Amino acid sequence: MKLGRILMKTVIRVPLIIWALAVLYPIIWMFLGAFKSNGEIFASPWSLPKVFNFHNFVSAWTDFNIGTSFLNSIFVTVLGTILSLCFALPTSYAIERLQFRGSKVLFNLYLSAMMIPMVLGWIPLFFLLLKFHMIDNLWALSLIYAVTQIPFSVFILTSFLGTIPKQLEESAAIDGLSPYGILFRIVTPLMMTGIITVSIMNAVNFWNEYFMAMIFLQTDEHHTLGVAMDLMNQQAQYTNAWGALFAGLSIAIIPIIIVYAIFQRQITKGMTEGAVKG
Amino acid sequence: MVQSKRQKYLFLLFCLLPTLVVFVIFTIYPLFNGLYLSFFDWSGTGSVKTFIGLGNYKELLHDPIIPKTIWHDYFLVVTKVIGIMIIATFFAVALTQLKVKEAPLYRVIFFFPNIMSVVIIGILWQFIYNPDLGIFNTGLKAIGLGSWTRPWLGSMEWSLPSLVLPSVWAGIGLFMLMLMGGIMNVSKSLYEAAEIDGANQWQQFWRLTVPLVWPQIKTSILYIVITTLNGSFVIVQIMTQGGPNNATQVMGSYLYQKAFQEFHFGYGATIGVMILILSLATVLVLQFLLKREKVEY
Repeated sequence: MKLGRILMKTVIRVPLIIWALAVLYPIIWMFLGAFKSNGEIFASPWSLPKVFNFHNFVSAWTDFNIGTSFLNSIFVTVLGTILSLCFALPTSYAIERLQFRGSKVLFNLYLSAMMIPMVLGWIPLFFLLLKFHMIDNLWALSLIYAVTQIPFSVFILTSFLGTIPKQLEESAAIDGLSPYGILFRIVTPLMMTGIITVSIMNAVNFWNEYFMAMIFLQTDEHHTLGVAMDLMNQQAQYTNAWGALFAGLSIAIIPIIIVYAIFQRQITKGMTEGAVKG
Repeated sequence: MVQSKRQKYLFLLFCLLPTLVVFVIFTIYPLFNGLYLSFFDWSGTGSVKTFIGLGNYKELLHDPIIPKTIWHDYFLVVTKVIGIMIIATFFAVALTQLKVKEAPLYRVIFFFPNIMSVVIIGILWQFIYNPDLGIFNTGLKAIGLGSWTRPWLGSMEWSLPSLVLPSVWAGIGLFMLMLMGGIMNVSKSLYEAAEIDGANQWQQFWRLTVPLVWPQIKTSILYIVITTLNGSFVIVQIMTQGGPNNATQVMGSYLYQKAFQEFHFGYGATIGVMILILSLATVLVLQFLLKREKVEY
């Protein structure tokens, strides 16, 4: 029996290790490739680079627009995350804490938007932006990003708020604090954990977003990382700048790795809870 | 507690109104306007928007590419659900039931692709499938199956199945975690009782784990279906752009091509309406099919 258990554990480990390698393999390959010259990449994809030179990174950053896109991505990520929170937090508070007619309906309206394919809306959205001269505008893109994450944010924040006892708010109200004071000075600090979870999830989403950026942005100087990497990949067929492409991908993924290393728990929690809505 | 009704009302408006206004402008209005546009022939410039009633829908029914895109989407749905659910369930059970010491490490690694950009995933997998450099073809050659090598993404038969693997690769972690959450909620004493009754691991899995974790299984399946029908075009756009010769064209990528590349915005909107209807109908049917009595022991 004991021997059987040990044997079983060993057998079980094989697929686990294989899958772990399958996940890590392309990522490591990408980082190695970022330091190699084209010749090295083609000659022996798996070898370590002969010398670790940062030439590809410099080239990706300056010649291939990754630098500008990096800054643009930071801009839309930060602005989108802040806006998203500004939209979702007061609404979540009202839905969860203030009894008003239609709160359930409003909550379900936001919730159902998580199931609707947004592709259909992108055509009118494109012309809406065109009409207001906001195509190719990072402010407009951030606003649209923020709105797309309202349903998810409201969903997570209301359920988080439901776990916080009401006493503090009630006694603050008795002490004469205005409802605005209660929301911003009592409830907001209490909700920090939930706010951080939501904001990180939103930020990761905005950092990685590609399709809306491709439709709503048009010039190189406004492209975000997703679009820039896609274009670089398409051009690499002709420019053969594979090393620079890998360097560009590495630059784009490093912030995600850092965020994951710090907030791994919040991210896994946010994503699993966000999916549990059916 | 001296608050006038008016003040309360104003506070409520302050909380709800700005959010609702932007939500209506940027989410609800575009959806309804998309529905409206589907009745027009429109190339994007204001002057030539002509009402053609159900004309676009008739064109949709006669468009030989549309059935292909629907089939491709559902092919991805079915293969992804099967692939992800089997592997994720296996890993979830392995990491919770068998006390593997380094379980947290696997969890961290398996989940990481879930937060990677689809663009990076797509580009990396293009290299994995690369006919000359990719691990698939070099691996096949190395084990003497050189005749099996092919240009995976450039082949009519293999390009669509080739898109399944990256999606499974990127999706496992999330669903594994959801299932693990469910399994860890099952009381240990139930497994002990089953053990005493002589149930083997396999029986424990089917009689105990599956019924008790059913809510998580159901949610996972629905989530995979929704995200695939509503978003499969992103990875398609990056890896194959619908090609070769529409072999990987899905509904969303066809919409993009028709609307934003060929400027048939009315027809594009019609494809969007079709996506909306199909995905809602699929979710409804699935919710009915996956319904089970809630099990408690």
